[in-house]
Amino acid sequence: MPSMPAGSADLRVLVVDDDVELCQLLSEYLGGEGYAVEAVHTGRGGVERALEGDHAIVVLDVMLPDLKGFEVLRRVRAESRRPILMLTARGDEQDRILGLEMGADDYLAKPFNPRELSARIDAVLRRSRPEASIDRRAGVRLVVDDVSLDKGARVARRGQDALDLTTVEFDLLDQLLRGAGRVIPRDELVRSVLRREFSPFDRSIDTHVSNLRRKLGPAADGTERIKGVRGIGYQYALHDRSSSNTR
Amino acid sequence: MHRLHVKIFLWFWLGILIVSGTLVLLTELSHSRADDDRAWSEKYAPRLDMWARQESQILRREGPAALERYVGSFEMDPGVTNYIFDAEGHEVLGRKPAPPVLKLLASMGDWPPGRPKIDPNERMIAERVVDSRGDTHIVVVDWPGPSVLNRSLFEFLSPDFYAERPSRSASGRILAVLVVAGLFCFLLARHIARPIDRLRTAARNIANQQLQTRVDESVLERQDELADLGRDFDRMAERIEYLVTAQRHLLADVSHALRSPLARLNVALGLARQRTDQPSEHLDRIETEAERLNKLIGQLLTMARVDSGVDLERPTRFDLGSVVEEVSTDAEYEARTRQCAVQFNQRGECVVQGAREMLRGAVENVVRNAVRHTNERTSVEVSLDRQPAASGSRAIITVRDHGPGVPEETVDTLFVPFNRVMTDGRSNPERTGLGLAITRRTFEVHGGSATAANAPDGGFVVTLEMPVLEGSTA
Repeated sequence: MPSMPAGSADLRVLVVDDDVELCQLLSEYLGGEGYAVEAVHTGRGGVERALEGDHAIVVLDVMLPDLKGFEVLRRVRAESRRPILMLTARGDEQDRILGLEMGADDYLAKPFNPRELSARIDAVLRRSRPEASIDRRAGVRLVVDDVSLDKGARVARRGQDALDLTTVEFDLLDQLLRGAGRVIPRDELVRSVLRREFSPFDRSIDTHVSNLRRKLGPAADGTERIKGVRGIGYQYALHDRSSSNTR
Repeated sequence: MHRLHVKIFLWFWLGILIVSGTLVLLTELSHSRADDDRAWSEKYAPRLDMWARQESQILRREGPAALERYVGSFEMDPGVTNYIFDAEGHEVLGRKPAPPVLKLLASMGDWPPGRPKIDPNERMIAERVVDSRGDTHIVVVDWPGPSVLNRSLFEFLSPDFYAERPSRSASGRILAVLVVAGLFCFLLARHIARPIDRLRTAARNIANQQLQTRVDESVLERQDELADLGRDFDRMAERIEYLVTAQRHLLADVSHALRSPLARLNVALGLARQRTDQPSEHLDRIETEAERLNKLIGQLLTMARVDSGVDLERPTRFDLGSVVEEVSTDAEYEARTRQCAVQFNQRGECVVQGAREMLRGAVENVVRNAVRHTNERTSVEVSLDRQPAASGSRAIITVRDHGPGVPEETVDTLFVPFNRVMTDGRSNPERTGLGLAITRRTFEVHGGSATAANAPDGGFVVTLEMPVLEGSTA
């Protein structure tokens, strides 16, 4: 049941939710915010449309009748980096963490305030469009020790290996590498990476950091690359200062 | 061994001892009275004359030493004493006779020689004998043992009574009775006490929320009322489990079912706002209430999730200190808006096993509560201690605020779901009344507890505790 595309292709939103009425209301609401909504009510249909469509973002409910939302997420992530916002069940912290770990860009507990949904979609979209990002130094390469980041191509490498990072993780690594050696407060990371106001008790940024840590692996000397500074934030540890530079 | 076992054992054992003791005693007594009394007089009376003569003759011909030997052989019968007195009433062998013997001796004054004088009560026979030389002797044979009629009951209880007639076979018999009765009573007591103990364990497990508990098979296999009791207990446990699970499912199902309409309501509200540019007080109000409903449903689902225990199926080990510190740091942001602070103190490392996010939420509920209730410009003190206990160390989290506290009589009900504390005569609509209940359940499923109290010098203290994983560091 594809809705009429109201704006440009990158404002097309794919909503995967089995609640038909909710999808209709969301189409109407997001339409008013300038998005064109296509709704799919099954997990399989969701995977199909997410992979072949040209939507800017997928809004994916975890509770689906055929495939679990996580399975949809896994199948889409296996082939595409299309931004995905998960709608997780309220009261289920585990879902949120699992979603972010499996590569969702953000999450929102359902039932949600639609203004919040619109704001989250907005933040994810701004992040995932390099040309629209606040950082306009396209083609800039960051190198710290054996990790390099090509912002133009949005490719991160450890040594020669390309790292499979989500948009959030890429932006997070970008922020950490740019401030390498400096402790970056959590609220600053939330604002610059997740592009939303910091709210206490929201541990999304920490989950992203731990996912990034896992993908980066330990430094050559076996220590953690990203150090947590209790009560303040995170620091990308410099190991070989002479080799770190920005080109 | 448990008290019931010991009690049954001792009572039965004592009972058997008393019954068997009484039987032995009665046999003894009836035997002494009927048979023994006849036996001794029949055995000794006719022969006493001959013995007395012989003794007097031996004394005269061979002297006291020979008599002593003779008397000694005569006294081979256990407990029988043979006294020989001369005309002046002195015991020839220098022994000290008991008063009843002397009494009998005194009564011999004009008793004719050659005839035995029988004292059935004291079980003695005396006879005067005059030998060929005209010397007079009085021979007294003291037959041992009780003459029941003259002895008081208490004498039977004194050890002298039994020492007086030592019988190796008798003490052996007593010992055998003790051992056999003891063994029998021990088994009997165990037979009765063990299933009761099993039932008790099962009841306690159910009280501790392990609702799947059923009575041990060994109880049900019995062929008695205890097995019936066990079966009835199982039926009851089944019913309780069904009801409790049904109630939890109902709560979870209702919350799930409410989620969809509430999600639609939220979006519809957003649409209504989109369509009108004027700020609307009523729409604001609807939004506030919808947000409260969102929160309530979130908490109900959290409660259902904690109860279901799914998060504990794959527990992880982690540093509880980092969780409490994260929560404290986050709470600090919230506290600053009220010019308050959150201080965190950790004493001792606490690595625990469980569901990290669940415990985080549980601690968060308590710390945020404290931040909300502490007075302006005061601080909330959060501390984590490691305390050694008999069954391994415990992690103790205390959260103390400097607020008004709660009315003393409501402290205990704080952890009951939906029990809302009235402040200033009305309840706070921002509170769902589930936060602390979730916290308590969370700590309970982790083998711990949650308690609260007003601090003596003002303020409110919540204490959370759970076991520390021994022998490991973060």
